[in-house]
Amino acid sequence: MPGNVTNPAARQGDNLIQDLHRNRHFYLFISPFFILFAVFGLYPLLFSFYLSFTRWDGLTPRAWVGMDNFALMLDDEVLAASLWNTLIIGLLYIPVMLFLAFVFANILHLRWLRLRALFRTAVFIPCVTPMVVIALVFGLIFSSEKGVLNFLLAQLGKYVPALDFGPVQWLTSEQWSKVSVALLVLWRWTGYNMVLMLAGLQGIPDEYFEAATTEGASALQRIRHITIPLMRPTFLFCAILSLLGTIYMFDEVFVMTRGGPGLSSTNFGLYLFNKSFVDFRFGYASCMAYSVAAGVFLITLMAQRFNRTDTE
Amino acid sequence: MPASLNKTALRGDLQVWSWNIAAKALMGLIPEFNRRYPNVHVKVDMNGTNMQSRLLLSLSAGVGAPDVSQLQLTDAQRYIATGRLADLTLVAAEYERMFPASRWKNCARNGRVYAIPWDIGPCAVYYKRAIFRKYGIDPERIETWDDFIAAGKTIVERSHGQTKMFAMGAGTTASQPLTSMLEILLQQAGGQIFDDQGRVAIDSPASYQALGVIKRMLDAGICRNVPWWSQEWMAGLKDDSIATYPLAVWFGATIKDTVKDFAGEKPEWGVFRLPALEKGGLRNSNLGGSVLVIPAQCRQKEAAWAFIEYALCTRESQVAQFRHMDLFPAFLPALNDPYFDEPVPFFEGQKTNRLFATDVARVPALNRTEDWSETQRYLDQSLSSWSAGDRRSDGFFSALARKLQRKLGRPIVSTRNVTGQHGNYGRIGP
Repeated sequence: MPGNVTNPAARQGDNLIQDLHRNRHFYLFISPFFILFAVFGLYPLLFSFYLSFTRWDGLTPRAWVGMDNFALMLDDEVLAASLWNTLIIGLLYIPVMLFLAFVFANILHLRWLRLRALFRTAVFIPCVTPMVVIALVFGLIFSSEKGVLNFLLAQLGKYVPALDFGPVQWLTSEQWSKVSVALLVLWRWTGYNMVLMLAGLQGIPDEYFEAATTEGASALQRIRHITIPLMRPTFLFCAILSLLGTIYMFDEVFVMTRGGPGLSSTNFGLYLFNKSFVDFRFGYASCMAYSVAAGVFLITLMAQRFNRTDTE
Repeated sequence: MPASLNKTALRGDLQVWSWNIAAKALMGLIPEFNRRYPNVHVKVDMNGTNMQSRLLLSLSAGVGAPDVSQLQLTDAQRYIATGRLADLTLVAAEYERMFPASRWKNCARNGRVYAIPWDIGPCAVYYKRAIFRKYGIDPERIETWDDFIAAGKTIVERSHGQTKMFAMGAGTTASQPLTSMLEILLQQAGGQIFDDQGRVAIDSPASYQALGVIKRMLDAGICRNVPWWSQEWMAGLKDDSIATYPLAVWFGATIKDTVKDFAGEKPEWGVFRLPALEKGGLRNSNLGGSVLVIPAQCRQKEAAWAFIEYALCTRESQVAQFRHMDLFPAFLPALNDPYFDEPVPFFEGQKTNRLFATDVARVPALNRTEDWSETQRYLDQSLSSWSAGDRRSDGFFSALARKLQRKLGRPIVSTRNVTGQHGNYGRIGP
């Protein structure tokens, strides 16, 4: 009965226009966001998607290359290396960082602790310190010949000979540059994750702990059976944020090592920057950005699905 | 763009983009320029690190670019390739012979000129006199890189490892030491990364000759593994951890500037000529340098050219910029100025300016192409892992050439014929 279907549809269309007209003042008031979003959010997003299929240096006319950029990506060992570095740096610091953040959050959640606000601020400060200052200080800490870190290691080596393996070339060797970046990121972002976890902890009703205490559960048991299971969404959230952070991390690597020596500490974010703003290969860079974003989206989706089935 | 004859008739408000010392040098020229062109007003904007992307954006948009802009010499080809720079061939042709052919070549594309060379970076070795005296090294007797390495070994040995000859490690900055050293040596060997037509020409005996020197330096244990421009590297300017800095002329300004802030006794500095690859070989090279360009969108091209012509193509302004800001003139007539034969007090009265100027015109050009910075990064990466590994040189450049071919989409040219010190290509293979 096509007639019956089209009529209500047409009427609905009329209704929509009438509705729009009637509520036009409201739409006008909310329109700035949508206009700004379209210009500064949607348009770049779509444009860079289009760029993925072109070769463009920003100045000469764009050349449509179809799937060539994607084919190029499969054969790009620098991309592979930068993704590998991203993974290694992530594995080096994310587990340690989440563990430390959890421990600090629990300590700072203790009721009887004095100066809690002071400690919270202290742990959070690295995250708001300007990167230039950090780079300067960590350059001194990591200096292989006159750095504090190597000095401490050497002192330690005097008492524990097993730990004395000479001055470590923190920033100037391919073996250690990833570790240096991971240590810096660990120091910088633990406080931020601690704050997220603290919020998670504060969201757990006290009654649970009180009930557990009455039942005779020890502190460790309470953490294991109440805190950890209920904090699972927070853990996942922090882990995903850290994963994204590692992939798109830029300033930490840029100011500390510029991705070097060689390629050893180049993560995906820095490679993307180099491809687009140093090499001016905007088409290829867009293509990589979209592909990796799609990969990250899938991983996040899977992680959430996994988490959901697990808790239910 | 006809050259203007009537100087007072020329009018304009010029905006010039430049950076730190170079910008100051240009500002210093304005009063004298205005005596010649009273109606051309020049404003020099000192732009920061994002100048490159701002210029790119404005060239791309077709509006917003300055009337005159500074570029790194190594970036010139990339901007020229975009076709958004004014063609200066007509007015600039008369000056071609007054610049080193190598510089001019980097400013031209398909026989047309789009940029004028400004300063260049002839190279020599800065050394600390006290260290050389203490360990009995005569800088005048260092003629080749092998002499340099031998002297380095003596210094390291006699100082029990406290003093290293120079710093060259896997660096962390954009232009890392290994790559810069290779660039210095490659020019001395007459090698190329790209040939005249932009084909990959790095797999050549000249490249291996250069790499061989780097290998001998690293293997001899005379290098301190700190990145250039790091705090330790700068600290080496005062303490006795680094004996020499083989670098370009612009580094002299950095030494003077840094040393004056040091407390206590200041080291005495000297300069000796860059060692050659072989006895009697070329004892100079080049690192760095910049150019001035006029974007095609500029509406006052005559006034803009008048400024560039005055700043870069006259002896007086080039010498003034060198005298005050250590910008070493690319304009060859300027090198005949008596100023170059004056003793330099900072270097204990040594005539270092003449030393740097010697043979500058003989340094062969490296063909840059628009892919230069990307190429440098691949070179960085390869050299870094090579130096960290077992430093086997065979196949190093053929692998790198294949990588460049794949990444840049440029064909590889057979360079078996390139052997000489002067980079004369014989037949170029298919």
